Amino acid sequence: MSILAPIICDNGTGFSKVGYAGNSDPSFVFPTAIATRGSAAQSTRTGPAVPSKPGHLASKRGVEDLDFFIGDEALANAKTPGYGINYPIRHGQIENWDYMERYWEQTIFKYLRAEPEDHYFLLTEPPLNPPENREQTAEIFFESFNIKGLYIAVQAVLALAASWSSNRVTDRTLTGTVIDSGDGVTHVIPCAEGYVIGSAIKHIPIAGRDITQFVLNLLRERGEMAGVPPEEHLKVASKVKENYSYVCQDIVKEFRKYDAEPYKYFERYEDEYSVTKKTYGVDVGYERFLAPEIFFNPEIYSSDFLTPLPEIVDGVIQQSPIDVRRGLYKNIVLSGGSTMFQHFGNRLKRDLKQIVDRRLENNTSGSQVKSSGVEVDVISHKRQRYAVWFGGSLMASLPEFYTSCHTKAQYDEVGPSICRRYQIFGSAT
Amino acid sequence: MILLESHNYIIQNTLADKLQKPTSLDVQFVDFDSVRFHLSTPERKTCLLLSMSIRCWDELVKYGVNDVLQRVYGDRVSPQPEPEYNVSLVLDLEQFPSEGEEREALIKSISLLKRNALAAPFELAFSAQKELAASGTGQGELLAVHYRDEEAIYVQASADRVTVIFSTMFREETDRIFGKLFLQEFVDARRLPTIQSAPQVLYTTRDPPLELSHIPNLIQTDDVGYVTFILFPRHFVNPIVAESTISHIQNFRDYLHYHIKCSKAYMHSRMRHRVSEFQKVLNRAKTEVAVVDKKTASGRTLVR
Repeated sequence: MSILAPIICDNGTGFSKVGYAGNSDPSFVFPTAIATRGSAAQSTRTGPAVPSKPGHLASKRGVEDLDFFIGDEALANAKTPGYGINYPIRHGQIENWDYMERYWEQTIFKYLRAEPEDHYFLLTEPPLNPPENREQTAEIFFESFNIKGLYIAVQAVLALAASWSSNRVTDRTLTGTVIDSGDGVTHVIPCAEGYVIGSAIKHIPIAGRDITQFVLNLLRERGEMAGVPPEEHLKVASKVKENYSYVCQDIVKEFRKYDAEPYKYFERYEDEYSVTKKTYGVDVGYERFLAPEIFFNPEIYSSDFLTPLPEIVDGVIQQSPIDVRRGLYKNIVLSGGSTMFQHFGNRLKRDLKQIVDRRLENNTSGSQVKSSGVEVDVISHKRQRYAVWFGGSLMASLPEFYTSCHTKAQYDEVGPSICRRYQIFGSAT
Repeated sequence: MILLESHNYIIQNTLADKLQKPTSLDVQFVDFDSVRFHLSTPERKTCLLLSMSIRCWDELVKYGVNDVLQRVYGDRVSPQPEPEYNVSLVLDLEQFPSEGEEREALIKSISLLKRNALAAPFELAFSAQKELAASGTGQGELLAVHYRDEEAIYVQASADRVTVIFSTMFREETDRIFGKLFLQEFVDARRLPTIQSAPQVLYTTRDPPLELSHIPNLIQTDDVGYVTFILFPRHFVNPIVAESTISHIQNFRDYLHYHIKCSKAYMHSRMRHRVSEFQKVLNRAKTEVAVVDKKTASGRTLVR
């Protein structure tokens, strides 16, 4: 009997991506949300219902602990009286283990329909995840679910692996800079040979949610939102962002182009209000190129964060050890939904190249030695949106995956601390 | 979620998606009990091929699984299954009914492929029971389904009932204890007046029940347990009741394991809660550092 496909589980702050290894897309993408009995605030404060006297557990116990929903069903049931919605992951890290354990339980049994005892699992963790969290995760997976084997991978490394699917990548290295922009936060993470350079990681407080908010602000300022029902505002803004936005090369030229021929460039977005079934429409104009522009000129959106993305990337690479910098410049990989804008990679590459070239010019002006130049390349590929999951799927379908995993037997022998370290695999060297 | 559903979500979701917007596709996934699925578009975007591999296929063929699938899916069953798989369905999206209940019913029935395949021995036993009941005495053939490496389902028809025996095996020490408790609870729960109509449940460890005593090479260790369900004719009196009986009893093992895992999660949440409570107590018990003004010899306060 051949070994069944490993399960890849990428739990992010906003969405969880789960599925079986060997596929190109996750089987399920749903919000990392759990709707439980009782209001959200109350249960976190008091913890689970504990009987006053010991020994009365069985008689007082109902089935409340089974009465919960996850994912899209959780959001749908959030408004039902008696249910409260919770998000067990905050800033990429698991905050509430009770909810997370039940969340996994239902993911595995209801959605994936897999017997965890027959499967290997590949989980992901954010960079700088404390080892205690890894141990906790391992405890849940080995002791509650009795899984066969576990591998916990760093998201950035998987995103690098996912970029191997691009035909522009010739050598399969795990050295590179990952720009991971999801819903809540954007990370710039340098990796050398599969190891994350923790000291150089930078976070940018601009991500998908901010872009949506910015689009919404622009539309409101122009008065386009007047005809749109208020509860649909956010949805319209995110649709506009997803469907019409692109990155321009020169913002002034782009403005002129739009002003000269508004009919050519303005788009019309139409939708139906779910309650009254009335259609409404919005004219989409400058938002199309201004939305992703907040990565490159953050001053147009926020007043407290003003460093453009290319400068941050440059700073991150400059902080990394000198011997890997070339590799980091050469292999800048995009991952996550907010990097999906058209020409995003080209713009980033151009801006970064300018910064690097300018510095080289200044440096070499005095000396006789001429620099051969630094190659800057930004890699965008088709699997960018679920890059982390896809990288996991690639890794887990390699035969080495099974040897890199910690198995149940090893776990039983050593204990949770075994999961503090994982062997890096898949690197070409 | 107390009961596990019988249908496969991935099949259901993918089909619904592809009916909206057909694209080329190639996905592999699994279901409980080592069932593997492969959903692909080998020729064109609107023609899906759904293949299933199931461990006990040879046994199921003996019990007439082909007839069952033929009855449910008609000519959608491909005459030549895909290599490495046991059965294939050819789904031409263009021939699907237009949007509405009919289409949803069809999608649902396709997502029940595994359930329908495993239903074969049960249906066979139910019809055998009806024949035996007419003649009055006798025993039907013992139908064995080795659906997992170490576990099996045995179905046997008699004149007045159908006996379904699950052999269970727990790999994990803790699970074994939980499992025993659960199974004992199944036996005891039937004494409650509210569920008198439920099938009778018997549970033994180590020694197989008499129905199985003639089978050679049964593993005899303390890890093995046997759960016997006795289905009376009222449990499969009409097709609707029979359907739901089959769906539920098939899922028994997964149901049991799911609930073992749920109760562990339940205990863990309580353990975490207790630990945090104890930690609070410990923190409160810290001795306070007494703040005393220190004076220098001349009587001035020493400022640190």
